[in-house]
Amino acid sequence: MIRHLLKLSWNRKRANALLIVELFFSFLVVFGVATLGLFFAANYRRPLGFEWQDVWAVQVDMKRARNDTFEASQVETFAQLVRETRSLPGVAGVAVSMDAPFSFESLSDNFEVEGRRIEADFDEVDEQFAPLLGISLVAGRWFQPADAQLAYTAVVINAQLAREAFGDADPVGGRLREAREGEAEMRVLGVVEDYRSGGELARPRLFFFRYHPVGDLGQRPPQWLLVKVAGNTPRALEEQLSRRLQAVAPEWSFGIQPLADLRESNNRFRLVPLIVGGVISFFLLLMVGLGLLGVLWQNVLRRTRELGLRRALGAPRSAVHGQVVGEQLLLTAFGVLLGLLVVAQLPLFGVSDFVGGGVFVSAIGVAVTAIFALAALCALYPSVLAGRVPPADALRYE
Amino acid sequence: MLRNYLIVAWKVLMRRKFFTFASLFGVGVTLMVLLIAVAMLDHVFAAQEPEIHWDRTLGIYTISLTGERRATNGPPGYGFLSRYIAPLAELDSVEAVSLVSMPETIVSYDRGRKIPSFLRHTDAEFWRLMSFQFLEGGPFSDLDLAHGNFVAVINRSTRERYFAGASAAGQTMDVDGRSFRVIGVVEDVPILRISSAADIWVPTTTFRNTHYQQDFTGGFLGLILARDRADFPAIKAEVEARARQAEKNLPDPEYYQTLSAPADTLFESVARGLGGDPGGAHAGRLRVILLGLGLLFLILPTVNLININLSRILERASEIGVRKAFGASSWTLVGQFVVENLVLTLLGGLLGLLLAKIALAAVNSSGVIPYSHFTINGRVFLYGLTMALVFGVLSGVYPAWRMSRLHPVNALNGRFS
Repeated sequence: MIRHLLKLSWNRKRANALLIVELFFSFLVVFGVATLGLFFAANYRRPLGFEWQDVWAVQVDMKRARNDTFEASQVETFAQLVRETRSLPGVAGVAVSMDAPFSFESLSDNFEVEGRRIEADFDEVDEQFAPLLGISLVAGRWFQPADAQLAYTAVVINAQLAREAFGDADPVGGRLREAREGEAEMRVLGVVEDYRSGGELARPRLFFFRYHPVGDLGQRPPQWLLVKVAGNTPRALEEQLSRRLQAVAPEWSFGIQPLADLRESNNRFRLVPLIVGGVISFFLLLMVGLGLLGVLWQNVLRRTRELGLRRALGAPRSAVHGQVVGEQLLLTAFGVLLGLLVVAQLPLFGVSDFVGGGVFVSAIGVAVTAIFALAALCALYPSVLAGRVPPADALRYE
Repeated sequence: MLRNYLIVAWKVLMRRKFFTFASLFGVGVTLMVLLIAVAMLDHVFAAQEPEIHWDRTLGIYTISLTGERRATNGPPGYGFLSRYIAPLAELDSVEAVSLVSMPETIVSYDRGRKIPSFLRHTDAEFWRLMSFQFLEGGPFSDLDLAHGNFVAVINRSTRERYFAGASAAGQTMDVDGRSFRVIGVVEDVPILRISSAADIWVPTTTFRNTHYQQDFTGGFLGLILARDRADFPAIKAEVEARARQAEKNLPDPEYYQTLSAPADTLFESVARGLGGDPGGAHAGRLRVILLGLGLLFLILPTVNLININLSRILERASEIGVRKAFGASSWTLVGQFVVENLVLTLLGGLLGLLLAKIALAAVNSSGVIPYSHFTINGRVFLYGLTMALVFGVLSGVYPAWRMSRLHPVNALNGRFS
């Protein structure tokens, strides 16, 4: 049967080649959108590692163009901001950090572990940070004020970094980096389950926290205050907070936003390309579907004689249906095969590592299914038409 | 001749409605997507109010300082611009130079309500370089700058937010915790016009402190209005020369030794930002990339339309046979079929235009991009027309060639290979 269909298709190779090309490109389009969508879905299912509810993020803009220099007075002022905020009625807690969760900025650093270079994002935070955001530790402990006196740089890493750097060994107390010029060695104090500062849709990354006590004159002041408030705090507190901060540092500027807002705009930023791509692809597939339907329809009309002859020789209607749909699925198989050949090259460029092997394979599955379903759907009506060809007509046809 | 082609084309379109629908749908959707993309690019890069002199404006959009161990790259700072770029205004080829800050998001509180807005610090020259439509009052002057007056120009939407649409000139308002007097109200400027858009414009001298006057990097951009586009190369060279001068007086020579702050059109600047070779033809490359993306997008619709067209030819075999038998050359037939296909794509283009208009209006009114008014203007329409023609020829030539090669006897018999 298949050999027979192959022969029939080969007889019209030129027209079929173009149909295969069309199906091939459709496959690539579906694969692209499916990869992005499944990538987001897989990320979304992973634990975020912190709680963003009822936390306000205050961006402190010291109105300096460069962030790598600072003065002691700025550190003092910052410490005073923290004290003032903490004393405000309605504020349950205050933490500081260099980057806010859900912001698009990130700091990154790299280490050499057993000859491998590992790159990880990090943030500089104080001892209030983990309790305030409900970050849970799976091993070791979180920072405490006395850690400022340690001879080494204490860091808390996420489980992914622990696996990457230490494998199955106990990461607590492990050395991430040897001492180097002007910098103490870096040792692990604890491990958190995760902290995905990029938000739910972002790819999970290797991450660690460095300790940055408020008022440390050796480090540039942080840029964010995270303020925990009670469940249904009125927004009026926001204005009150803003005025109080402004009173402490009249030369600086402050932007207050609930983390919920930051989260929403972060998610929207990532989803917009998917939505736009999805809508365009939907229309493209609809267009391809209509085109295929038209072409097959025309094919069936042209082949009235052949199909009628089969019926006249006793082939049941279902056999004719099967032939039309089968031919179409055969072409689709060629198109999909070509697509698979191209997609199979992507792991060489690190695509499957980036999105995750599971996502990559499922996206291929989705694309294959979608293209076959589309092709079968388009062949359905023409096959019904083909089955209806009265044998007598076919024999008379000239 | 052409008239006959058109009549035949119309008859063919009407003969098999499903094919016509499938083709028009494909062409319409394809051109809609392309038109939307072009309209958005046009919205960002082309001249439009208030940047009506945009085609003869150069900008210093980025500065990069590099040293042996460090590099920094971002918008230039006021200190660099005021010392090295502002004096360009004395050149004969330069009409005006304006230094404006990049918009910053600020939050103001007005009677218990939180109002977020984009704030921009500008000089008085800015108002001469741009052509804002004032609904009320006017811009601030050099005098306001000199005295550091707390005056503000706001846009229509900000007037709506603060004053519920009532007259605002002369009123005071809270801007980021400080009180400003409104002296002018202008029409909203699309937020994607990165050189002029804001909700509130205030004099540069109202910054909270004076650090900005020393900065080489951060937060500003310099706009240079040339008398003529032809002066661009000379102005660019002059900016280059000033950058060399500035290199000798860098604020932290221990970290950074070289400085680059090219004068670019916005398009050139974006092209440069995409990286690659320094000093290369960035704008040309970006154009090629955009064109390439457009063509890549066109592949699937083109193949689809070719398939439909190939099927369609076959039902006209007897017509082709007759024409060939009576001596029509292959070229004539190719011409005829391409014309027919062009009729189809132009009709589809019209449909695409309509769909694009609806989609753009929806984007505008949704407020996803503040103050956007994406439109299909003459320029975009011309692009659309060109794209429809290219699409029509691409998808028409191959089927036409196949058709013209049908042997008259076979064609008359209804046999194809």
